[in-house]
Amino acid sequence: MDFAASEELTMLRQSVAAIASRFGHEYYVERARADERTDELWNAVAEGGFLGVNVPEEYGGGGGGITELAAVAEELAAAGCPLLVIVVSPAICATIIARYGTDAQKQRWLPRFATGELKMAFAITEPDAGSNSHNLSLTATKDGDVYRLNGSKYYISGVDECEAIMVVTRTGIDPETGRGRLSLFVVDVDSPGLEKQVLPVEITAPEKQFTLFFDNVEVPADRLVGDEGEGLRQVFLGLNPERILSAAMANGISRYALDKASEYARTREVWGTAIGRHQGLAHPLAKAKIDLELARLMTEKAAWLCDHDGDNPEAGEASNMAKFAAADAAGVALDQAIQTHGGNGMSSEYGLADLWGMTRLLRIAPVSREMILNYVAQHSLRLPRSY
Amino acid sequence: MNVAVCVKQIPDPAAPPALDPGTKNLVRDGKLILDDSDAYGVEMALQLAEAAGGGEVTLVSMAPNGETSGLRTALAMGAAKAILVSDPALAGCDALGTAKVLAAALKRAEPDLILAATESSDGYTGTTPVQVAELMGLPSVTFAKKVSTEGGTVKVERQTEAGYDEVVSPLPAVVTVTAGVVEPRYPSFKGIMAAKSKPVETLTVADLGLDAASVGSAGARQEITNVAEAEARAAGEIVVDEGEGHLKVIEFLEQLKVI
Repeated sequence: MDFAASEELTMLRQSVAAIASRFGHEYYVERARADERTDELWNAVAEGGFLGVNVPEEYGGGGGGITELAAVAEELAAAGCPLLVIVVSPAICATIIARYGTDAQKQRWLPRFATGELKMAFAITEPDAGSNSHNLSLTATKDGDVYRLNGSKYYISGVDECEAIMVVTRTGIDPETGRGRLSLFVVDVDSPGLEKQVLPVEITAPEKQFTLFFDNVEVPADRLVGDEGEGLRQVFLGLNPERILSAAMANGISRYALDKASEYARTREVWGTAIGRHQGLAHPLAKAKIDLELARLMTEKAAWLCDHDGDNPEAGEASNMAKFAAADAAGVALDQAIQTHGGNGMSSEYGLADLWGMTRLLRIAPVSREMILNYVAQHSLRLPRSY
Repeated sequence: MNVAVCVKQIPDPAAPPALDPGTKNLVRDGKLILDDSDAYGVEMALQLAEAAGGGEVTLVSMAPNGETSGLRTALAMGAAKAILVSDPALAGCDALGTAKVLAAALKRAEPDLILAATESSDGYTGTTPVQVAELMGLPSVTFAKKVSTEGGTVKVERQTEAGYDEVVSPLPAVVTVTAGVVEPRYPSFKGIMAAKSKPVETLTVADLGLDAASVGSAGARQEITNVAEAEARAAGEIVVDEGEGHLKVIEFLEQLKVI
């Protein structure tokens, strides 16, 4: 067993941290508040090849895996710039296309995932099918050479930044189980019949959330990714990276919050002594640091498992545990960082409170902590299924 | 055009530094990183080789324990290969000893141009590059804020207190660059992955044909006799701005003779 970070991963982290520090949290918040995109940051990171680290080399990518992509996301978040599109575009969509796409599809999309030029959103959640993906009601119906999509999706991140959306659809019903047979389609965001509505949320992030309405949206048959009816199995390959990237983002937020909190606690003096000398402040920060490092270990293990054998059920278990641990740790770290700052913790200037929405979201999405507990109870502990 | 860059691998400045209580030298046994001030030389070298329409950038370094971490960073930026001199006999080298080692290693690289930082961020003697030039019998131009090559010459804008001098020197030459000369690139992911397989030739004092008695603590003609804490900075003067604060600022800057 070897816990030493490789020289390559260390250099990757240094490069991304250096690029992100040129922008920083102020830039991120300014853009978010002005409803503007963070293209300069995205392009600067993409230019170094860091947004395509997990795309196979033959398509111009880095030939690395989720381990490297998670390190990129963590460093960005640690610099105060947690970018949601990384979680969906390279982590979910590129992973699924690299594995299940046809040669033509790979040629078409992977080289542009590699350069970061192509951003693809991912649409699975529906108003009546939250965690239960079997219950999806958005249908894709074959009509000659094309498919027609009808239905709706919501809480879809960053649609305004993306040129296409990978949409999870129902293309049939399994007669034995009554569950939907799912299929994946890549749909252009400007397709006729696709209506995109901003879904206002209390999250200060440059990427907005959307409700999507599909009214007979025509999609060419060559946009079907993988086998018709096999969508759920295929989606699972992308959901582990999604959880790991969410965990990495949460870990980056924890690092950001604890860096700020410890700096403040070292230098802020009240009654002639640094406030960090008081155990009432020091111990909760130390505890948050321990929880962060535990979460990072599980995140790295999950990424390693995912990169070595993404179909291994252990990868799913570890990804879930990492997301759970990292999101909970980030919630506590950020809260304690705010507490450490006293009134300043709520000021815009200190750049902490604005991260609350994103950090709180990570305990709900991409899979809620309760669903993870259900999963662990059922699969890891073999307890009876509760739902 | 082939450019060699002298790079120093130093203890991470972010970590607390330690001095050997016996020799009073900086402890350099742990993991070392590329000196930030050398990133400028590496970037300059890459740009010059590119502008000349080809050629390689070779790194030359001396470090204990076969340390290559800092070299890998510079290789990831785009340098083609590295020569590392690492030998227990080099412990306790003074600046001149280091220059002897670097000069011997640089000869093997046969560069058209040698770049170095004006000084390292840990030792700060600022003497090694000119010693290297002297030992190699090459001209040296220091404090370059702009460098270009043309034919067999290098043209340098040399930073001075008043402005800059324009200096032209025949090649090969040693040029030391300041931190403002170029903006160092961040290693790209492809560069990072390629760095792993780039050649690093590791040499000993004997490989260079140097007499071990002329380098390291054996050959050092400089000894650190005492180390003292830097004086704490004076408290400064606090001026309350009652509408005339700017005049005080001007007065202060005039005293410093900066305006």
